[in-house]
Amino acid sequence: MKYCKRLLLPLLLLAAWWAGAEWGWFNTYLLPSPVKVFSTAVVLTKKGLLYQHLKASLLRVVAGFLITFAIAFPLGIAMALRKNYYDYLEPVLEFIRHVPPIALIPLLILWLGIGEPPKLAVIILASFFPVFQNTMSGIANCDVKLLEVGKVFAFTERELFWQIILPQALPQILVGMQLGLGYSWRSLIGAELIAAASGIGYMINEAERLSRPDIILVGILAIGLLGYFIDYLFLVLGERLLHQKERKEIIWPE
Amino acid sequence: MAGVKVDNLYKIYHLNGREIPALQGINLEVEEGSFVTVVGKSGCGKTTLLRILAGLEEKTRGEITFVNSRGERNEVSIVFQEPRLMPWLTVNENMVFSLRRASPEIIEEKANKYLHLLGLEGFQDAYPHQISGGMAQRVALGRTLCYGARLILMDEPLSALDAFTRRKMQQEILEIYRLERLTILFVTHDVEEAVFLGQKVVVMEQGRVIGEIPVALPYPRDTHTRPFFQLKEKVLDVILGRNKH
Repeated sequence: MKYCKRLLLPLLLLAAWWAGAEWGWFNTYLLPSPVKVFSTAVVLTKKGLLYQHLKASLLRVVAGFLITFAIAFPLGIAMALRKNYYDYLEPVLEFIRHVPPIALIPLLILWLGIGEPPKLAVIILASFFPVFQNTMSGIANCDVKLLEVGKVFAFTERELFWQIILPQALPQILVGMQLGLGYSWRSLIGAELIAAASGIGYMINEAERLSRPDIILVGILAIGLLGYFIDYLFLVLGERLLHQKERKEIIWPE
Repeated sequence: MAGVKVDNLYKIYHLNGREIPALQGINLEVEEGSFVTVVGKSGCGKTTLLRILAGLEEKTRGEITFVNSRGERNEVSIVFQEPRLMPWLTVNENMVFSLRRASPEIIEEKANKYLHLLGLEGFQDAYPHQISGGMAQRVALGRTLCYGARLILMDEPLSALDAFTRRKMQQEILEIYRLERLTILFVTHDVEEAVFLGQKVVVMEQGRVIGEIPVALPYPRDTHTRPFFQLKEKVLDVILGRNKH
């Protein structure tokens, strides 16, 4: 039933799109019919182009996000545990947080060239803050009552961190990672639209140059579906890690 | 077993430059193997006393002496008002949470023993959100027992439970006290509970001990007998200051 509910709106939109194209409600040059978009997707898949561009984009996201995680996660923990150090970092971080990564692309190209580094830099800038802030907040806001349990049982500082603070912060850290991944994906497409020779953003940009709205739509749909799939994977991973599924079942009611 | 002796214990909080005395010269003795209950109105310092004994707060001044102390870290433990279970761990994992350095055999042995003793068999794989408040409090008690503490401090552990579960758990606590030969200092605001459980009822008011009433009734106690009722009235007299004039 849940899946039926989720499918209802996309199917209705698809039907309206198809009906509009079929009965001439809009110009199909500007918005090609779903049949045309689907056949274009099949052609691009058969030629291997869709896969090639998706792979290029995905690799950039994975690489950029891993670098982000390697920096933002330990930094978030360190700042949460040593709050006085955060006072030094806070103004600079807040400044960077409010600058859209896309706005930095011209500078990044000047500094890092037109290869992979500026694209990775854009991903890192976009995904850093959700991971950093959620890690910091999750660690800093650990329930004092649970920490007291550890103290009663004579836990060392290290044990308190690994046994209580980190497990309790995990749900929020995962939310930060989920958001960060979404932001990296969005910013990457922006970066690829401006300076790239491969990737979904590049494919969309090229299609615009060639006046092929069907390819643009294939690119947009591929981005959306892949993003949705990655988000779903994260959700499954989160449920596994946090036992959320089990928690939903009440086996002994109040 | 281990007892505790408290001499002239003071705790003063500082709030916006003001001194707020929570404990004002507490003198108290909890003998080894005894079950002492502390009763008093809200804000009388019961919880502060327990938190200082548990090492969660610093005293301002005074002496705390653990009688027959083995000098080990796990001599004293506390069961809080709320179960404070780790939500990401199962009942079994919560029970053995304190045994991080023990061998797997000891962990399994202790878990099985206390799961059985507390009637939690069959629920060992459940998560805290899946069990009732009474069961969660049993797990918290089991966690303290697994730790091996001989002096157990209890800070109104049954206050959030319904009357039926509460009475059942009172009997279970007495049974565990007897079987495990523990020393228990139990804080409550319920006079009947204090008389039902304790061998001595300590009455506190405004950070001071204002009365100690021995309860010489044998276990199990019947709350409907005249001696029980008289003792309850005696405690109430002290709390309400009815015997002052």
